[in-house]
Amino acid sequence: MENYPQLVPLIILIPALGAIINMLVGARLTERWSSLIATTASALSFVIAILLYSYLHASGYQAAIVNPPVLQDWILIESLNINIPWQLRVDTLSVTMMLVITGVGTLIHIYSAGYMHGDPRFSRFFVYLNLFLAFMLILVAGNNFLVLFVGWEGVGLCSWFLIGFWFDKSRGIGWKNANAARKAMIANRVGDFGMLIGIFLTFWTFSTLDFYRPGEIANPHAGEHGAAVEHVEAATVEGETAGEHGDEHGDEHAAGPVYTDNEHIPTEQLGVFGQAERMLALPEGDPGRTVALGPFRADIVAVLGLITFFFLIGVTGKSAQIPLFVWLPDAMAGPTPASALIHAATMVTAGVYLMVRSNVFYAAADLTSLLVTIIGVATALVAGFVALGQWDIKRVLAYSTVSQLGFMVAAVGIGAYGAAMFHLVTHAFFKALLFLGSGSVIHGVEHGHHETHHAAHGDGHAGEADEFDPQDMRNMGGLASRMPVTYITYLIGTLALAGIWPFAGFWSKDEILGDSWVAGLVNNELGGFIALAGLLLAAAFTAFYMWRQVELVFHGRPRTEAAAHAPESSLSMLIPLIVLAVFSVIGGFINLPGNAAIPTLGLDAVLGVHQFGSFLEHSVVNIHAADLQPLIAIVALGLAIGAILMARSIYGLNRGVTADRRDVLEANASFSRMWRLANARLYWDETYRRLFEQPFNRTSQFLADTLDWAFWHDYVHDTIIAKGFRAIGTLLSQPVDLGLIDGVVNGIGRLMRWASGGLREIQTGYVRTYAVSVLLGVVVVLIILLLPYIQRALASGN
Amino acid sequence: MEFNIHSIVFLIFSVITLGGGLGTVTSRNLIHGAVYLIVSLFGVAGLFILLSAPFLAAIQVLVYIGAIAILIIFAVMLTRSMTRMTEIYNRQWSLSLVVSALLFVLLLVGIILPVWGPGTANAALQPSELVATTVDLGVAFVDGNQFVLPFEVASLLLTAAMIGAIVIARDRD
Amino acid sequence: MQLPSLSELNLGLTVPALSLALWACILLVIDLFIPRDRKSVTAWLAAGGVVFAFIANLLVYRDPGVAFMGLFVADEFAGFLNIVVLLTAFIAILMSVDYLKRTGIERGEYYVLLLMTTSGIMFMNSANDLAVVFIALELLSIPLYVLAAFRAPEERSEEAGLKYFILGAFASAFFVFGAALIYGATGSSSLPVIVDAVGRALAGEGSSLLLLLMGSGLILAGLGFKVAVVPFHMWTPDVYEGAPTPVTAFMSVGAKVGGFAALLRILLVALPALTVAEGDAVAGWQTATWVVAALTLILGNIVAISQTNIKRLLAYSSIAHAGYVLMAVAAAGTPGVSDQATRAALIYLMAYMFTNLGAFAVAMAIEKDDGSGTSLDDFKGLGRSRPLLAAIMAVFMLSLTGIPLTAGFVGKWVVFQATIEAGLYTLAVIGVLTSVISAFYYVRVIVNMFLEDGEGDPAAAATPYVQWAIYLTFAGTLVLGIIPSLVTNLSGPVALAVASLVP
Repeated sequence: MENYPQLVPLIILIPALGAIINMLVGARLTERWSSLIATTASALSFVIAILLYSYLHASGYQAAIVNPPVLQDWILIESLNINIPWQLRVDTLSVTMMLVITGVGTLIHIYSAGYMHGDPRFSRFFVYLNLFLAFMLILVAGNNFLVLFVGWEGVGLCSWFLIGFWFDKSRGIGWKNANAARKAMIANRVGDFGMLIGIFLTFWTFSTLDFYRPGEIANPHAGEHGAAVEHVEAATVEGETAGEHGDEHGDEHAAGPVYTDNEHIPTEQLGVFGQAERMLALPEGDPGRTVALGPFRADIVAVLGLITFFFLIGVTGKSAQIPLFVWLPDAMAGPTPASALIHAATMVTAGVYLMVRSNVFYAAADLTSLLVTIIGVATALVAGFVALGQWDIKRVLAYSTVSQLGFMVAAVGIGAYGAAMFHLVTHAFFKALLFLGSGSVIHGVEHGHHETHHAAHGDGHAGEADEFDPQDMRNMGGLASRMPVTYITYLIGTLALAGIWPFAGFWSKDEILGDSWVAGLVNNELGGFIALAGLLLAAAFTAFYMWRQVELVFHGRPRTEAAAHAPESSLSMLIPLIVLAVFSVIGGFINLPGNAAIPTLGLDAVLGVHQFGSFLEHSVVNIHAADLQPLIAIVALGLAIGAILMARSIYGLNRGVTADRRDVLEANASFSRMWRLANARLYWDETYRRLFEQPFNRTSQFLADTLDWAFWHDYVHDTIIAKGFRAIGTLLSQPVDLGLIDGVVNGIGRLMRWASGGLREIQTGYVRTYAVSVLLGVVVVLIILLLPYIQRALASGN
Repeated sequence: MEFNIHSIVFLIFSVITLGGGLGTVTSRNLIHGAVYLIVSLFGVAGLFILLSAPFLAAIQVLVYIGAIAILIIFAVMLTRSMTRMTEIYNRQWSLSLVVSALLFVLLLVGIILPVWGPGTANAALQPSELVATTVDLGVAFVDGNQFVLPFEVASLLLTAAMIGAIVIARDRD
Repeated sequence: MQLPSLSELNLGLTVPALSLALWACILLVIDLFIPRDRKSVTAWLAAGGVVFAFIANLLVYRDPGVAFMGLFVADEFAGFLNIVVLLTAFIAILMSVDYLKRTGIERGEYYVLLLMTTSGIMFMNSANDLAVVFIALELLSIPLYVLAAFRAPEERSEEAGLKYFILGAFASAFFVFGAALIYGATGSSSLPVIVDAVGRALAGEGSSLLLLLMGSGLILAGLGFKVAVVPFHMWTPDVYEGAPTPVTAFMSVGAKVGGFAALLRILLVALPALTVAEGDAVAGWQTATWVVAALTLILGNIVAISQTNIKRLLAYSSIAHAGYVLMAVAAAGTPGVSDQATRAALIYLMAYMFTNLGAFAVAMAIEKDDGSGTSLDDFKGLGRSRPLLAAIMAVFMLSLTGIPLTAGFVGKWVVFQATIEAGLYTLAVIGVLTSVISAFYYVRVIVNMFLEDGEGDPAAAATPYVQWAIYLTFAGTLVLGIIPSLVTNLSGPVALAVASLVP
């Protein structure tokens, strides 16, 4: 078990290998084999993630740093002391992410086998999925910011591939898909710019990019505070188990001194976080606290503020926060399984992971943290509000994802890193479930449409068929009876997302709310108040729009023939739904608050009070365990249930859509303006257009019409220059033009003319002739130059 | 010649480099050619790693593959009409074959003579010195004592060339 | 290692050249905001940049120095040539505004490229290192290639750009080869360092002498291409004819200024003591420049006679004039005459600038929108339909011939003087004879304008911008011809500065 961390390169290599196999031969394989290869690769990764977990469990949650066997150093310049290795890190945070990525990823692979059935680029899709897994795992497994960045860019690339997967659809839809992909790419590029600057600044400050160096203990105080469970072993030396050192590990353990902290390591040999902590511990005004930035010296707190700010820019891109979130709703143009995996469960949470990983930085940067809170809360509110007025089933979920990411980001902002990760995990379960469920619904409606269509028109494809949108909730209704499994699992996902006890979302959302309560009312921090108020409202939005969706999609009577004939999806699509539904129910038990004991059924290691928090504690320094705030929990639960009941009273019993296909709220005079605002997405995209496009146009208009035309042309040019010129011109022409010339030369040069005509023949117009002439010229010049030299040489030789 | 893991990796990278190069010059589609070029450059980056010059490799990837190759692809895309050109217009391939063969021999002689010819003083150059050379090169480009001015003017030059290429290639309206 | 601080770099001295390049880059962006039919705004902005650089140059010219630790020299030599080239750019912009509009190639990049090539020439004027010379040479050339092809897809223009590009690259290769040989022989690319190394090389083994001689020959060839001297001249008529006329005008002066600046600096600063045998009086490259100058004078002037197109005629005339400048360069190879000869070359370049640009401006005023109307026959009857224009053109032609009271005369005078001073009597005789020959074709233009009856299109209208260009150059031609001391005094310290660089 000691050597398990050596497996971590495999967790990346296996999906990469799967991608390569499918890329090379996938087109020739049947769908069954193609999907089998990809799914197996994903499943093997999951198995490795479990093995890594068991290693952590057995070793007292010691982190391990692994150098892949072939790739040792990446960028190494000894003379300039630059060393950025290819290092992977196995610790509780990265393994948590790996488990989520590979676990949810595997289920989505299974689901995709059914969903993508019949697509002409079936195997290509699995290439992208596997490639995505590989990059995402690089992102979370890297032990320095640059490796993380490799993954960060890689997943962006895969996301681009997958959003634009159907770029060739007819009737302009393909064009739209490709544009959506482009939009995502551009928004992410803006974010990546911030990310890169942040990385450069980090390197400038600490001369390294490693999170922690081998031998360093991330959190020496892990297990001391908080109401955590007893650990199997006290934290001991965090040995480098990499490569050839793996065998020595045991001996060292027995013989060498056992360190419980990092005091014996000189500062410059620490990773970035260790160094930052050392610097922060120095007294104010100590020169060791400052960092040289060009001509200035800045305090470490200010520098960390800058770094975290630039990271935040990266996060707003990748994790779809204000102001860069506009790409995520459009990203739903991709196939639904990709939306579930990349744009709901994993990739978009990379930003949250980054911030939790950098918790040492964020904990020190108060100002940035406040900004993080504000951005998170604002995103949660804006996206939650916009989700109220959407018709597209996936678009609602997309805005919901943006909103939930806002929850996580806000949690980071108030310092609740554990809660953010907790919500990340549970959200991965139920949001993947909801997306896959929506995929199942779309799939069913599409098939239902085809069925009725065939019944009505025989085999032809008529024009009216083209206008049917299988993702529009107005075309659904009453699917509960047609698709029972999808319905029940979707309901579970909805309740989990809405935060209903005892589903997973309740626990994680409550921890965020509880933490903001503590931050606001106990510690009196501004961010806490903002988070508490904003997130409570956002939670109510969540429950409302999710129940609206359930009503519109599953309850009532079918509103179209297609919905009436929608079949239940195939087994390979339903199994992942069921598994994810189970996790959406029990997922919250991994981190119960201290005062809400629940029988753990003998699974103490995984489930239980603060179990997840104390698990993460070993890699996240600034974690703290929050107790349940009963008042907040009851208020939040009440809000959620109230919102659901309200949604039911508004949209239930077939009242949701009016006869002219409008929302019942839109039809209602007092709500219609608000609904339209949500439907128009708060005019956010239009605002961008106005902010960036129109001023651009207006400036050019001004320069052209006013400056050039009115001023230069009409005034300066016509009045001053032209008139002045005319006056001078008249003056000059009168005396000068009086017939000055009277026959100067007469044909002296007939001979010259003849010679000239002959020479002119050389001018053939061919480049090669010219080139040869240049070459000859060079030879001539050289000969002239060298002639005296040769003469002299000959003379001295004789 | 010793046959170890190094030489195998070297072989692989050489095949990638040469294969990419071959693809570049033989493919009729310019986009394909550009992609082959990226493959070839990637192989070169691998060779740099083998020469224990990881920084050069990283720069190779960043600058050549990341920037220049993308630039080429953009340029190709901008000159859409060229991508449709699959015919060979010039019929003097036999002449160019002779010329390139001559050049190849010349280069070969130029490489072989100093290394294996008489007085092979250069062969003593150690890889560690090469690494130091990379640093020196970088410093020389930003050192006011050395080549900072040509380096800066070269950037202007590239800008001018870019503008020029776009001006020439752009579709007329 | 210790990097020099910013103040040690003396960035202030590079402001004229760098500001122009920077402004070109900014203009590229600004141009995006300027709608298609208002591109004259771009022209004004470009002209503004030139004026700024001109003023900055005058300030730097008063207080010379060395920047970038010796890579860049801002001395009177560079300052004087900068004045010439900035005037050229300004006049070229004036000529371009309406020309571009009426030929339908009005695009902002034109001015950006024009500014870039101008900054390239300015870098060449100041370059004190072979590497800088080369990069500046390319910065000079590449925008010119594009500008030459700016009327694409018109065939002649495309052909001009392509020919210029291919042959230019060919010539650049010679230059680089030559620079490499010199570097190999001396171990440095810095001109002042080379001069010491040349002395050592001459004292030592002969092999580095061989490299030096070959290197200087190849550099002569590479730069000779840029300034269009025989036998590296053959691209000139085709390119001048095909390129848009303002570009031709600019190219005929600007490229020559840059080329001669580099040639003079390399030969006089780095290689003045390059002699074949120790104790030789004159530089080893004198004979080669002498021969090339003679060839250029003879061929350029004779072939010009049979031209029937004004643009081709001016192309050959510009080849011939490069020969006169090269005469001065050859004369500079004689120790003791080098400062006088340098001054002669500079004055000649300025005289040629005014006259030649003026001639092109008039030719452009005659030219029709479709590029026709540039035949010599189109000048027939111009004296009657556009008397003022014809008179001015006559002055330009006389100046090109070298008739007294015009700038051309002053230029020729100082050049011949230097040549005789250097003892190159044969060359001086060739120079005088060929300028007599040149009178034949220059005067024929005058004859056509005033003595021949023809359809001399009265509609041919010089637009205000072009007229201003014509007046500006006309004034320059006359002032320089009548009060030459204005410029000869200006160029006085110039040659001294060059002389001071020679050990």
